[in-house]
Amino acid sequence: MSKITKSSTAEYFAKNLQQVGFSSPLKAVLTTLKEAVDNSLDACEQNEILPDLEIEVVKVGNGSTKNTDLVKIVVEDNGPGIEAEDLAKVFGEYLASSKFGKGQCSRGQQGIGISAATTWAQMTNARGVQVTSKTKGMRKAITAQVDVDIKTNTGIVRNKEMIEWKKQSGVRVEFLMDGRIQLNGDGGLLTYIEGTALLNPHVTMKYRLGDMDWVTTERVSTTSPDIPEATLPHPHTFKLGEFITHSTLYGKITLAKFLKTGFSRISDQSIVDFTKNGMPKSLVEKPLTSLTEEDFKKVFQAVQATELMAPSTKSVLTVGEESLSKSINRLGEVDFFSVVTRKPTICDFKPVVVEVALARFVNRGESDTPVQLLRFANRVPLQFDKSGCAITWAIESVNWKSYGLQQPKDSLPVGPYIFAVSVVSPFIKFKNASKETIDASDELVEEIRRALMQAGQKLSRHIKSEFKAADLERKLAHIEQFGPILVEKLVALAGANDARKKKAEEGLRKILGRDSEDAASELEEAQNKLLEQKKREAKKAGLQEEDIVAIENEKAAKSPKVEKKPKK
Amino acid sequence: MALMKVRELNLDIPKEAKNLAEKMLKDLENSKRPYLEAVKTSLDNSEYNAKVGYLTPGDKVVRTELNVSSVQKLARVVFMLEILLRNLDIGAVNTKRELYYICKGLIKGNSRYKPLDFEGQDESDSIIDFIGDMLEVYREELNCFANDRGGQTYSQQLVVTETLPDGEKAVVDLSTMGTTPFQPKNKPQALKLKAKKKIDFCLVVESEGTAGTLQAMGFTKRNNCILMGAQGVPSNGVRGWCKLIEDQLDVPMYFFGDLDAYTLQNIFRTLKAGSAASLIRNGDFSAPNVRFLGVLPGDVKKYDLPHYKVRESDPAEARALKKAKDALENDPFFRDKKNKDLSDILKWLIKEKIRCEQQSYFSIDPKDPIKTEKVILEKIKKGDYV
Repeated sequence: MSKITKSSTAEYFAKNLQQVGFSSPLKAVLTTLKEAVDNSLDACEQNEILPDLEIEVVKVGNGSTKNTDLVKIVVEDNGPGIEAEDLAKVFGEYLASSKFGKGQCSRGQQGIGISAATTWAQMTNARGVQVTSKTKGMRKAITAQVDVDIKTNTGIVRNKEMIEWKKQSGVRVEFLMDGRIQLNGDGGLLTYIEGTALLNPHVTMKYRLGDMDWVTTERVSTTSPDIPEATLPHPHTFKLGEFITHSTLYGKITLAKFLKTGFSRISDQSIVDFTKNGMPKSLVEKPLTSLTEEDFKKVFQAVQATELMAPSTKSVLTVGEESLSKSINRLGEVDFFSVVTRKPTICDFKPVVVEVALARFVNRGESDTPVQLLRFANRVPLQFDKSGCAITWAIESVNWKSYGLQQPKDSLPVGPYIFAVSVVSPFIKFKNASKETIDASDELVEEIRRALMQAGQKLSRHIKSEFKAADLERKLAHIEQFGPILVEKLVALAGANDARKKKAEEGLRKILGRDSEDAASELEEAQNKLLEQKKREAKKAGLQEEDIVAIENEKAAKSPKVEKKPKK
Repeated sequence: MALMKVRELNLDIPKEAKNLAEKMLKDLENSKRPYLEAVKTSLDNSEYNAKVGYLTPGDKVVRTELNVSSVQKLARVVFMLEILLRNLDIGAVNTKRELYYICKGLIKGNSRYKPLDFEGQDESDSIIDFIGDMLEVYREELNCFANDRGGQTYSQQLVVTETLPDGEKAVVDLSTMGTTPFQPKNKPQALKLKAKKKIDFCLVVESEGTAGTLQAMGFTKRNNCILMGAQGVPSNGVRGWCKLIEDQLDVPMYFFGDLDAYTLQNIFRTLKAGSAASLIRNGDFSAPNVRFLGVLPGDVKKYDLPHYKVRESDPAEARALKKAKDALENDPFFRDKKNKDLSDILKWLIKEKIRCEQQSYFSIDPKDPIKTEKVILEKIKKGDYV
C-alpha cells in the first residue's frame, strides 16, 4: 500500500493557484489588485474610516516566465493598519481570516486571496510581498517582506525595519510578480476600478494603471457604510442537520428559549404559531438536551411551515438608490439612468438583496454592441466567465424590447448602456473559489430578474420620451424636406402656374401642421410621465419638487426644443 | 425608337399621369389630403376563375393618403414618375437598377432633392412597382425592363419571325441553331410563331441543366416538340413566351419539375396562373393550359424514386411547408375545385413530409442515358399528368 501523506494548506493552494484566480498572467495581476483592495476596504469599513486608496499597477521589466512582464502592484490605504505580530498571518498564511463564517457581508471571507498573491509573487519573482504598516499606537511604521512557508503554511517575516511614515495609520502592500496589464474589456483593470468606484461611493481612489497618468476619483458620499451586523441566523436559512447542530451550542435551555435566542425573527407569537403548525406543545418548555431527533424534526418542520418576518435588512448591506445615483456619475457623463434597490429577501435559504443600476452615457459604448455589464457580489466586481453567472442569465431572460432597447434573441441587450447588477448576501454561492461567477439558482435568477424589470420600466420612460421627441423631429423634418418637392413635381407634371403652386404649398402646410401638432402632444404626454417619475425619485432622495423642476428647466434651456405651433 | 407593345393598351400613360397630378394639386390647393390608390397586389386580393385560368385582382386597393409619414413616399412617387415619363417621351429604356442610379444622379445634382435619396435599390424598386400598380400598367410599358433569365428553347420545327422596330423582319429557324438555344426576351417582342411540321407538345423543364441534357441526348431530334428550360421561378420573359406558344401554336404544354411544395406553388402555379404580386399582368404572363407532368406522388412509388424527408429544422423547407398549408386555406388557385388534383398533391406533401427531385428519374435505369426521356414520353402518352 502506498504511503498516505498529508500536505499543508499552503502546499495545496501553491499547486492549485488557478483555482483562486491565478490561471493566467492577466488574471494574476487583476486578482492581486482585487485582493489587496478588498482587504483595504473591509478594514476601513470595520473601523468607520472613509477610505483613501492609492493604487499603482505598472510594468517594470520582463517577467521570468515566457511572454510575461514584471509588474509592480501597489495598494496603499489609510485604514487602521496591521499590528506587527499579525503581518505573517495576514499575508503568509492560508485560511487565517477574521471574517470566516461570521455571517457578514464583507468582501473577503476565507483568508485565501492575499496569501495566494504572495505565493504567486514568490513563485514568479522569488520574493513575497513588501508590506508597510502603521497603527495609531505606533510611532514609526514597520516595513518588512513577508513570504509563505509552503511546507508549513506559515508566514515568514524578513528584513524587518522601522521607518518614518507621515500617515497616522494605514497599510501599503507592494507586489512584484509576473503578469500582464490589460486596462479595458471584461477582465480589464480599469473596468475593475470603475466597478469598485460605482459600488463604493464613499471611496476616494488615486490610481495609475499601465501607461496612464495618475487619475483621482473623489468620493461622492461621506458616510461610511454601516457595518452589517453579524445577526443571528434566520431559521428559514437552515437545513435540519444544521438546526440540530446549532442547538448543541446552547446547552440545557428550553426549546422556546433556544428558538428565541438562537435565531432572528422569532418572537413569543411565533412560538404560538409554531404550535399551530404542528409543533407539539409539550416540547415548548422541555430542555433542549432531552429532545430526540424525531422531536427536532417535528419542530423544524413546524418552523419551516410558519411564515416569519423576512431576515433583517441589517444582515445585508446595500449601497442604496441615492448613493448609486451619485456614484454612477463617476463613470462618465450620464445621459439618463435608473436605479433599483430591492427589499431583502430569501433565496435558497439565504438573505439576499439585489441592486440594479442601468445608465446610458453620452460618450461611452456603441449603439450596436452589447451593453457593458458590471457584475458585483458583495460589492466586489466579478470579471470573468460571465456566461455562467446568475446575473447574466437573469438579464438575458428579460424582454428588453418592451422597454425600448434592442436585444438579439437570448442575449444581452444592445446599446451604449452600462448595466450594473449587485448581489449582496452573507453567504453568496460562488461557482469556484476565485469568486468569478454566482451560481444560478432559479430563485436567485428570479429575484435579479425582478429588479431588472423594475429598473427597465423606469428606463423605458426616458427612452420613450426620447423616441417621441425623435419622432416629432422626424415628422417636422419630413414636412420641411418632402413637402416642397411634392408640390414642385406635381406642378411640373400638371403644367400649373406659380399662383397655383403657392396655394398648394399653403394647403400642404395646413395639412401637415395638424399632424405635427398631434406628434407634439404625444411627446408632451411622454415627457410629463417622465417628469412625474423624476419627481417621485427626487422625493425619495430628499429633493424638493421645485428643485427637480428647476433642474429640468435648466436642461431644457441648454438643449434646443421643438416649438409647439399654436393651434389654429 | 418605337418599341413593340406587349398588349393593346387603352391608356395614354402621360395623359393619365397628368390627370393624377392635377387631381392631387387641386386637393392640396383646397387643403384636402391628396391620395394615391393602387391595386392591392396580395393573395387576399386575388381571385381565380377556372374559365379565365389565371389570378385576377379583386376590389381591394392600397390607399396612400398624404400625412407626415407618407409625404416621403408621395414625393418619391412623383419624382420617379417624372423620370419614367421622360423615358417614355424620348424612348429610353432602363432596368430597375439603372433607374436607381439615375435617381442617385439627379439627387446628387440638386441638393434640395437630398432627402429623397434611396438607401438601397429595394426602396426605389417598391416605388416603381407602386407606380405600375397605380396606373395599372406593366413596368415594360413604362420602359423598365428586367434582364433576361431562363426560357432557353430548343426545337426542330419551330420558326420565329420577329418584326424589328424599323419594320424589318428577322426569321429564326430554331433547327438551324445547332446546340444554341433560342432565348426569349424579358421585353415585349413582336414575334410570330410558325411550325414547320406539326408540333406534338411543348415540355417545360424546371432545371435548365436537365433540359440541356435531354437536348444533348437527342430529345428534339426524336420528338416533334418544343423543349424549354425554366430556370427555377419563371421570369416575365418565360411566362410571356409560354403564353405566346399557347396562344399561337395551340400545342399541349407540360411542366416537369421537382415534387415539393416550393415547385408546386412558386414555380408551377406562377407559370400556369400567375402570381399575387403581378395581379395586373397575369393575363399576358401565364399559360393556363400547362399541365403538371411530374414528378407525381404516384411516380415515387411506381419507379421507386429516391426521395428525402423534409427537414423541418431547415428554415426554408419549414417555411415552404407552412406556406403550403396556408395555400390550401387561402390561395384561390388551390382552393378551386378545378385544381383539386394539384391541391391533393400539396396535401400529400404536407402529410408525407418528403420531397423528390426531377433528376431522380435518372435512377430508374442508370445505364440507359435516355431513360428519363422514355418515362416522360410514356407519361404523356398515358395521360399520366395532372
